[in-house]
Amino acid sequence: MKKILRVAQREYMETVKTKTFILGILMVPFIIGGIIFFTSRMSRGKTGPQLPIKVAVTDLSNELDDEIKASFNKYNQENPNRQIRIQNLEAQEDSDTVQKQGRDKLRQSQVDAYVVLDRDILEGPGKIRLYTYKPKASNIDIFWTIENLFRRAVVNQRYKMQNLSQELLAKLQHVPIEQVEMGSADDQDRVQSKTDRALRMMVPFFFMYLIFLGIVGTGQHMISNVIEEKSSRVIEVLLSAVSPFQLMAGKILGLGGIGLTVVGLWAVAAYITARWQGLNIDVTTELVLYFVIYYILGFLLITSLLTAVGSICNTIKETQGMMMPIMMVFIIPLLAWFKVVRDPNGLMSRVFSFLPPLTPMVMILRLSSGSDIWKVEIFASIILLAVAVLVAMWAAAKVFRTGILMYGKRLSFREVCRCIRQS
Amino acid sequence: MLNNVHKSFGDVRAVNNLSVRVPKGSIYGFLGPNGAGKTTTLRMIMNIIRPDTGRIEIFGDSLVEQAKARIGYMPEERGLYRKMTVAKVLAYFGALKGLAGNELSHCVSRWLQRVELTNWAHKKVEELSRGMHQKLQFAVTTINEPELLILDEPFAGLDPINTDLLKSIMIEMRDEGKTVIFSTHVMHEAEKVCDSILLINKGQAILDDKLAHIQSQRTSHIVSVELEGNTGFIERLPMVTAVESDGHHLEISLTDSADTQELLKSLVNRVRVKRFEVKVPSLHEIFVDLVGKGNEEDS
Repeated sequence: MKKILRVAQREYMETVKTKTFILGILMVPFIIGGIIFFTSRMSRGKTGPQLPIKVAVTDLSNELDDEIKASFNKYNQENPNRQIRIQNLEAQEDSDTVQKQGRDKLRQSQVDAYVVLDRDILEGPGKIRLYTYKPKASNIDIFWTIENLFRRAVVNQRYKMQNLSQELLAKLQHVPIEQVEMGSADDQDRVQSKTDRALRMMVPFFFMYLIFLGIVGTGQHMISNVIEEKSSRVIEVLLSAVSPFQLMAGKILGLGGIGLTVVGLWAVAAYITARWQGLNIDVTTELVLYFVIYYILGFLLITSLLTAVGSICNTIKETQGMMMPIMMVFIIPLLAWFKVVRDPNGLMSRVFSFLPPLTPMVMILRLSSGSDIWKVEIFASIILLAVAVLVAMWAAAKVFRTGILMYGKRLSFREVCRCIRQS
Repeated sequence: MLNNVHKSFGDVRAVNNLSVRVPKGSIYGFLGPNGAGKTTTLRMIMNIIRPDTGRIEIFGDSLVEQAKARIGYMPEERGLYRKMTVAKVLAYFGALKGLAGNELSHCVSRWLQRVELTNWAHKKVEELSRGMHQKLQFAVTTINEPELLILDEPFAGLDPINTDLLKSIMIEMRDEGKTVIFSTHVMHEAEKVCDSILLINKGQAILDDKLAHIQSQRTSHIVSVELEGNTGFIERLPMVTAVESDGHHLEISLTDSADTQELLKSLVNRVRVKRFEVKVPSLHEIFVDLVGKGNEEDS
């Protein structure tokens, strides 16, 4: 036991001291913060001036001219960077000829879109038809705006025909909503914006992502650590002092400590930021406890697998092929998280909770999304995970023992199975 | 210490029914050509790999893991943590072998001095030259003052000065009552330091004895002499089978039953003897002789 701790201590100290590690720890919050900062900037639409969009219009009803002009003028005044130019293609007597002209124009790229308003659009079932020809991806969202502006024009004209006051209607439709998050005392009320709600939805995701980063990140450390010891040939010297199991256990313990440190630091940083941004996240001690349990078990599972992988490979390159399937498994919860949060007690969530490599991430997702989960289910998943950990460690220890002394050739899957069975 | 040990890798029998007893307080050489099973045997002694069958005992006990604190093992594949400093590497391995506190720091400084690396204590391992690296590796092996020292090809890659340093430490340790086992395929190295040797070929022991005993048993029947005077009579002596002459220098081959003392007597009576030497067969000759024979039988 003393030896295991000694190995763990060295792994911890030597890893913590490296520059890449310190950079890595600091970089992740910075990158995440940066992404949040820039996406919020972007969505406010602060972009530079762009080429104006040209739209040809044929109004077969012949009554919408003024409203269309009014609504587009209003838009152009509000969005000086993205102007929309309207050109009228008047339908003289033959509407088909005009429409053919308009379509040709579009095909020749003289305009970006061509709009036809049906004759009976104001009173009958007529449509607004928007023609596009090989639309550019950057223009897709502006078509939306164009559609809305035409709809606005048609609706306004309909109001006029019914002698309804636009101002009155707008007034009648306006109902302000305020969402208030109550504190435990009456003077702690907080007004919530829409982003606050969205962020609330992100909290379970954050917890899961923390587990993902912690497990996968330290897993990578583990694999490169084993490879390094193997390639520097230090491993046999170590084995003259400690048994393979002690070595493996020490490594897992040391890197587990590193993982907890990192995840702890990130979690504290995130919590402080959330508080500072006025976001009141209630993290119960129960959740923290579960988080630690699931994290440790998940970590043990993946690191024992990765130690085994590391021990049978000679270079980082060789490990990559074997890492892929392991990593893929951990991507599944990242893809499925939305469904799990929406329906934490659904069939999919439940099944995933009992597939050991997925258990930690999915269970944390479910627990932090605030639904009541049957206690028996929680304990059953923990026990199943713990059993999986024991099996994985047992198998990994066998592979490790043989693998670390194999230089040159990588063991094939069959040989790995054989050395698990044999010793 | 080793009893009927077998180890196979797939179809290859690396070690085949090997039984060895290494006496305490001696230097014991594992000799054999490349691929004879030397490293495999040493690894099995260290419990790094397990024998398929057979028993291994160290200090009269089969629990090798507990004995590890009393053993120093230097593997053939050497390596140390390149990013750690020399002193820290020594301290780490010392701690793994159960040293602690004052005793640990005392041992570290003592061994740094002994392998002449004190000035490099706070340099990183990757800055050391190859020779220094080797000496540090040796210090790592002996940091815990082991009662049993196991060295796999210890002289590989060392210059003559460092080789002598290593040999002197090995002999010193033997004189302190410790046991040294080392493997090599370079015979003259073994000849100089070994008390006993084990000759392995193809995983089997072909010779296991005290070096002095081996050499006395295999006295060759060649005497090298330098004489003054007429030497023509020697060829006619009954015990002589052949004489090779090179001026005053003669190589005399004798019959199997001949006594070299009788030869000396008859020489002294007739001529002046300047030098008389019964040729001892070198380990190299024995090695080539035995291993060569073994390989011939196979083919």
